[in-house]
Amino acid sequence: MRKQHAVSAAAGVAVSLLAGLAILAIQGYPVWQSYAALFSYSLFSQFALVSTLNKASTLVLTGASAAVGFGSNCVNLGQPGQFLLGAMAATALGIFLDLPSWAMLPTVIVAAAVAGAVWSGLAAFMRLRWKMNEFITTLMLNFVADGVTLWLISGPMLDRKAYSPMTAMTNPGAWLGMWNGLSGAVAVAAAALAAVWVIWNRSKFGYECRVMGHNPGFAAAGGCGVARNFTWAMLLSGAIAGLAGGLMVTGGMQHRFVKGIGANYAWDGVMIAIVAGNSMSGTALYALFFAALQTGAMGMELETAVPSEFALVLQAIVVLFVVASRESTRLILAGLAAKLKARRAARMLEAPGEGGGRHGSGD
Amino acid sequence: MSTKISGPGVRMSSVVKVYPPDVLALDNVDICISPGSIHSIIGENGAGKSTLMKVLYGITQANAGHIEVGGKPVRFASPRQAVRAGIGMVHQELMLIPSYTVWENVVLGAEPVTYLGRVKGEAALARVGEIIERWGLKLDCSAIVGDLSISAQQKVEILKLLYRDVQVLIMDEPTAVLTPQETAELFVRLRALNSDGRTIIFISHRLSEVLDISDEITVMRRGRRVMTTPNRGLSRADLARAMVGRDVVFSAVREGDAALDSSQRPPQPSPPTVPPCLEVRGLSMTVRGRGRPVLDDVSLEVRGGEIVGIAGVEGNGQFELVQAITGAVKPDSGSILMSGQDVTGASVMSRRRLMCSVPQDRKLAGGAGAMSLVDNSIMTHHRLRPSLSSKLTPLLLPRACRDFCARLIAEYSVVASGPDAALSQLSGGNQQKVIVGREFSHDVDLVLLDNPTRGLDVGSSEFIHAQILKKRSEGKGCLLVSADLDELLSLCDRIIVMYEGRVAAEFAGSEADRDSVGRAMLGLGPGPGRGPESEGVTSGR
Repeated sequence: MRKQHAVSAAAGVAVSLLAGLAILAIQGYPVWQSYAALFSYSLFSQFALVSTLNKASTLVLTGASAAVGFGSNCVNLGQPGQFLLGAMAATALGIFLDLPSWAMLPTVIVAAAVAGAVWSGLAAFMRLRWKMNEFITTLMLNFVADGVTLWLISGPMLDRKAYSPMTAMTNPGAWLGMWNGLSGAVAVAAAALAAVWVIWNRSKFGYECRVMGHNPGFAAAGGCGVARNFTWAMLLSGAIAGLAGGLMVTGGMQHRFVKGIGANYAWDGVMIAIVAGNSMSGTALYALFFAALQTGAMGMELETAVPSEFALVLQAIVVLFVVASRESTRLILAGLAAKLKARRAARMLEAPGEGGGRHGSGD
Repeated sequence: MSTKISGPGVRMSSVVKVYPPDVLALDNVDICISPGSIHSIIGENGAGKSTLMKVLYGITQANAGHIEVGGKPVRFASPRQAVRAGIGMVHQELMLIPSYTVWENVVLGAEPVTYLGRVKGEAALARVGEIIERWGLKLDCSAIVGDLSISAQQKVEILKLLYRDVQVLIMDEPTAVLTPQETAELFVRLRALNSDGRTIIFISHRLSEVLDISDEITVMRRGRRVMTTPNRGLSRADLARAMVGRDVVFSAVREGDAALDSSQRPPQPSPPTVPPCLEVRGLSMTVRGRGRPVLDDVSLEVRGGEIVGIAGVEGNGQFELVQAITGAVKPDSGSILMSGQDVTGASVMSRRRLMCSVPQDRKLAGGAGAMSLVDNSIMTHHRLRPSLSSKLTPLLLPRACRDFCARLIAEYSVVASGPDAALSQLSGGNQQKVIVGREFSHDVDLVLLDNPTRGLDVGSSEFIHAQILKKRSEGKGCLLVSADLDELLSLCDRIIVMYEGRVAAEFAGSEADRDSVGRAMLGLGPGPGRGPESEGVTSGR
């Protein structure tokens, strides 16, 4: 099972890079130069590697958020909203609270996670109370979160000195440090991922969630509290997305809520979880790979004329190939194996004489 | 072809079918079905009899081989083509639209229409009525199919084929859902069709029925045709030996008993001082959209050391009773006690401290196919068995879980590559052993079994029966719901028959026989009174 995933992942990455090669060549770009730039600007210098890791720290969290949701059979598609609320909670507390760093940072970061959990918890509540499908409610709550935060940053919390909608900077107590460009957010994200990995793969709750993701009927018959687990899985999923948003503000350079702060992190995370088949380690690996592509593409744009959107093409090919091949490779291989075996069985009959034919056809 | 009207014969040669990736379901099968005969195909589950018929009927395509119908080579890409060539099949699961009337179901897909495409209702009705009349099917053309009994619905399926003037009828385990009385009635009907010249292919694994009805019998084993023989001077033992390839079969249960050190059924234990491990009192339940209650004042008791069977035609409340006991649904009234504790409103997990349960549907509630055997075997144990988790944290101990699974694999002789194998990689019998092993590893007094051997081969069924008897000898109480009357008759100390949501009759194991239990399953009184024929057109609902 696991081996098969690794194979299809490696094949997916290889195929996407090859397809990218072809696309670049057809459009007349310098192929090798572009690829060299893609990797040197994402991996092969300290600055490049650091930028990749910084980006990956966000993607790994939005990815883990989606993986916890999907893997427990909760369709949480509210990562964008949960991310924004997490960022907003961190910003607001960072502005209105002024404490020393050791007290301030944990407060702000926890508040961000709680804000995300509140937002997903709302959807969970509506599901349990009124049977509203979380698939719809989480999506709709994204618009609410978008509108509310935009109103806040262009009204009550607007920084008067700024030319575009953004808040003031948070107090320095709420800033995560930087070490040679590497954001402290990377360490927090890594710790969070490790914690989620343990919960997911080792705890009773995580076990029940995984069973729920594969077969809710089995979980219910086995006595797992399905409604309770659903609620906690939704809260956890939301909290991780909120944390990602909070780290956007506490880490990085801007330390404020800027319009468009969410970028495409949330949807990239959803995509990563899908490609990784909801496995936590897979999520981490794909997050790194996607982060490398995205940072590398910026460099590629600098050096060659290839637009940075090229990274999106590569990502899309990986997703399509890996997800499509997960089932179809198995089916195609199984079909081929069946054909071979059938041919062998049919030939067995022809080869030996009338009487002895059947005995030979075993394995 | 002779002058006498006689249905076409079927000849299939060197048919090979491999289900991906490497299940050799049919291994060069040759079979010749004489025109106008009743030909039975028997074999254990997985012997390939259903696959062979699916190939003939065009549901699935063979990898190699030839098919001839009435001397002409054919190859059907779909059942529609097969029907056009005069071959029809009545499936085990009936495929009717419950909200449609009998005649609507019959003409569906082959409606006589006017030039404008309007269905000629009158004409269709007349034609269907004619066929019912001619074959004495005793069906009401305009009855709603959902209101009919299973056996009447089966008649509608046959009617569908007659309407399409099918000459070769394939009956796939038609008696699995019928009571003995209904089976007898079906056989009368099949013989009538046969004497009209139609060829009938009858699939079953009930040997006595096969001996009763067939002209010729083909035995299949593990994808191969073992023998074809005219039905003369054969005994059940002959067929069983050919089916299984060794001399067992009817001894399944006695073997289990022998394991308990006694050649006979152990004496009924449970002195009245033993408190019952399950008491169901006055359980009633209605389901929205269904007029009559699905459970109607059901009371029963299971004591330690006895196996109590629940018999009944499917859909008479057994399913709901099991659901109420496991806690999947809440009854409207009545109470459930386990080992003296009232669990009527208790959660599933708290009931699981007092009972274990082998569910009816492996895929739906028994396990998760894509997950490992470890993950499948620790369900419920992960909360109730302290050795699987660390004492201080809510974390499971991976090594303890693996060991637990490995022990289960060894103890229940599960054939698997190891604890990391996915459940779906195992054969059905081994999957069921994992599930039974998991449930039987709970040290509880009540064992609930819902059709525990459905769809299993003889070997696995034997194994599971032996495990059930072992539980009884350990003094546990077992409630066994089964659609297989033979299973109930051979295992149970008492048999309770459910009919329309009520307890219709109760038999002590010694006095139960197929006939009397069968009559109770049909809601008929005891003794030879009215025959099943007089049951009426719509089964007395």
